[in-house]
Amino acid sequence: MGNTGFEKKITLLRPNDIKPTFFKKIAAMGIKDMITFKNVNKWFGKHHVLKEINLNVEPGEVLVVCGPSGSGKSTLLRCINRLESLQSGEIIIDGIKVHGRETNITKLRAEIGFVFQQFNLYPHMTAIENITIAPIKVRKLKKEVARKLGQEILDKVGLGDKAGSYPSQLSGGQQQRVAIARGLCMQPKIMLFDEPTSSLDPEMINEVLDVIRNLANEGMTMIVVTHEMGFAREAANRVAFIDEGRLVEIAPPEKFFKNPKNERTRLFLSKILAR
Amino acid sequence: MLQAFNFRIILEYMPLYSQCFMATLWLSAVSLIGALLIGTAACAMRIGHYRPLARIAVIYIESIRSTPLLAQLYLVYFGLPSLGIRMSEEMTGILVLTLNSGAYMAEIIRGGIQSIPSGHIEAGIASGLNYFQRMRYIILPPALGATLPAMLGQAIVLVKDSALLSLISIMELTRAGQILTSERFMPVEGFLTTAAFYLLIYYILKSLTSWSQKRLIFREIH
Repeated sequence: MGNTGFEKKITLLRPNDIKPTFFKKIAAMGIKDMITFKNVNKWFGKHHVLKEINLNVEPGEVLVVCGPSGSGKSTLLRCINRLESLQSGEIIIDGIKVHGRETNITKLRAEIGFVFQQFNLYPHMTAIENITIAPIKVRKLKKEVARKLGQEILDKVGLGDKAGSYPSQLSGGQQQRVAIARGLCMQPKIMLFDEPTSSLDPEMINEVLDVIRNLANEGMTMIVVTHEMGFAREAANRVAFIDEGRLVEIAPPEKFFKNPKNERTRLFLSKILAR
Repeated sequence: MLQAFNFRIILEYMPLYSQCFMATLWLSAVSLIGALLIGTAACAMRIGHYRPLARIAVIYIESIRSTPLLAQLYLVYFGLPSLGIRMSEEMTGILVLTLNSGAYMAEIIRGGIQSIPSGHIEAGIASGLNYFQRMRYIILPPALGATLPAMLGQAIVLVKDSALLSLISIMELTRAGQILTSERFMPVEGFLTTAAFYLLIYYILKSLTSWSQKRLIFREIH
């Protein structure tokens, strides 16, 4: 970064205006991050939740974030699509300042899929209605087009036969896969996962992780907050450890697990891997 | 007692009763629709982000809910003419019932909206739906489904409260009972018949509610 002149130019361009060759040019100039955190600070009242976070995620990268509960992992994720405000610093998504005043936040949010720990499917809608409501209302897709797309995505997450089911008729693992499909149906640039398997029974964890793994292989840019270290080891490009609001360590998985630099990372890993 | 019960007199007064039944029915129906509209508006003002409007809504809701309907009725009936505003008895009755029921409806709707888990709303926010889209597609359908029983309760209260309109000489069901009592001195026949008609309205409302619960608003309650 630091190439502020070019940065300004890019923020003026809508993603659709940019031709692929233009994209390559920009990449060659060194502006290539999909998500950038610059000195991000966040307080809840007097509680300092995020402390001077600096972070960047490249297009196609899978970043796994772990850390003890209450360390600020979820807040970090929620700041990315402005479910939370910032007190200082900035987050830039694909050249657009998330917390900027002039930013069209609903438009930006449409580019970011978010999967919650508690699924949060709309209980009064069927699976297919759950995943097509935003494409129809936000992307203005025709209903039939959205349904066709939704069915394809449901097939992809292995729930093609559950299109007409209500959330209450699905198991936890199935509900979470519908929630992932809901994010994918917006055809986002980024997918964010906030402890997607933490409220699942053990036998359902893998069906959800498999879906996320497939997405990683397809080159989706993702940040996954999770305690599933096996998943981090095989699917992540980098693993980050957050403790008491600070980004303590960030490294490729081989390095992160074999040879963590920080004492607190080591302690956390010994606890979580001993399970 | 049954020997003394005069069925013939009821038949004789049936034209009066059916006329009064229709009056109660339309007075209540108009007031109910008005109460739903005012209740929705007051609720929107109360939970909205604009402070002055929220304060107005709170004052309206609290002052209505803390004073007797009879006092409100007399206040409007005698108060408006002294301010130079002339209205028919029926209009006065509808106005009072609407304002009164609207305050309760506002609180019922608010309860329904607040029963929606914040996670569902956040999911709507995260997928880029704007405020009105979230209200229309995510919040209101399940909220209305959840509040239908409470709304039925309020609708029944409204129908029963319309009995008070007999005091400002509107011809409605309770008034019919009073007329039978004063003309023939048969209070048992008079008010039993009145009560039977109220019961009929109750069953109409109840079946309407369960029908709409099944088909219109909420296909499945979780």
